[in-house]
Amino acid sequence: MAHRLAAGALLAAAAITAHAQRPATALELFVQRGKGHCIACHQLPAGVGPATRSDLGPALDGTRMRALGKEAMRRVISDPTAANPETVMPPYGKHHILEPAEIDRLVEFLDALP
Amino acid sequence: MRFRDALIAMFVAAPLLAGAAAEQVRAEIASRLQQQLPTLSIQDYGAGGAAFDEALRAQVDQNSGAAALLVEAGHNLWTAKFRDGKSLAGCFPNGGRRIAGHYPLYDARVKRVVTLEMAINQCRKAHGEALFDQADPQTMGAIEAYVRSLSNGQKMAVRVPAAAQARFEEGRRMYFTRMGQRNFACASCHVQGAGKHYEDEALSPAIGQATHWPEIRDGAAVTLQARMRECLERMGAAPFAAGSDELNDLEYFLSYLSNGLPLNANPWRPK
Repeated sequence: MAHRLAAGALLAAAAITAHAQRPATALELFVQRGKGHCIACHQLPAGVGPATRSDLGPALDGTRMRALGKEAMRRVISDPTAANPETVMPPYGKHHILEPAEIDRLVEFLDALP
Repeated sequence: MRFRDALIAMFVAAPLLAGAAAEQVRAEIASRLQQQLPTLSIQDYGAGGAAFDEALRAQVDQNSGAAALLVEAGHNLWTAKFRDGKSLAGCFPNGGRRIAGHYPLYDARVKRVVTLEMAINQCRKAHGEALFDQADPQTMGAIEAYVRSLSNGQKMAVRVPAAAQARFEEGRRMYFTRMGQRNFACASCHVQGAGKHYEDEALSPAIGQATHWPEIRDGAAVTLQARMRECLERMGAAPFAAGSDELNDLEYFLSYLSNGLPLNANPWRPK
């Protein structure tokens, strides 16, 4: 399974290399180690992205995400420690792991999950 | 109480108090892990992430000979004669048998934690030989694979005397401190998240992490400190150097946590 995940990450990385000027897609942001790498902790619905056993964070699906709402998602991704100092989720915005526009693309991606 | 009796009582009690403080830390972490992982016993923690992964355990069994060439290379380095006719084997009790469980230890003369790798290099230095790069899998990694295999089954028995309490505490502090761009602490994954999965990798509990090194990955020995450096990179932190006081203190803390668990060197791991 690790190989499948690595292969998925490699494919995503290869796609980025081939289109160096193109911004990373939301799925690439979700999967790539140098970007969000959200897949390390969160599972996606079947068929949306690489299948993993990741469970350090909750599995993500559209129902859960839409209940949270886009603005709350944006806040959580930017700095989850503001609401929960104990969380292990990285502060993607506060620590400049992702640009604001990249966080916006992730929010749209999560909001559209099945 | 006469002065002499009081002095003796103070010297006797001080190491016990220090040991008690370390033991209290170990007991608190053990209690938390047992609450999170009620189906496992602490003895199971020595398998690391494999304790939670039946398929990995099967692969480890299938690849039980993965370290054979490394162990042979390590044996050759261990017994190779120095220019003065001595060898690494001559620097350690019983030729190095059943010593690994006592490392790291605290050297009160230099007020530093001494890992087994450091002790190996101290031996080489004492005999006028060049030091091995602690991060080199071909030399230090191979020696580790050999000499730690001589202690397989030995229970970890790391001591924290009073003078070493500050080093243990520094290791504990670092283990629980958030570091790097990703804001992880070691404990985020290995206490808070123990038994869960990061990508597809089961997260080993803090207790037991020091028992099964080096791991054998793609035919190479990965030492505990090399693995710590990988973790630090994942955390988005600049890794401390192999053999640095920071990693030595971390190894000291982690090794004490594993006291009572048997050593099991050279388990196979996937790339």
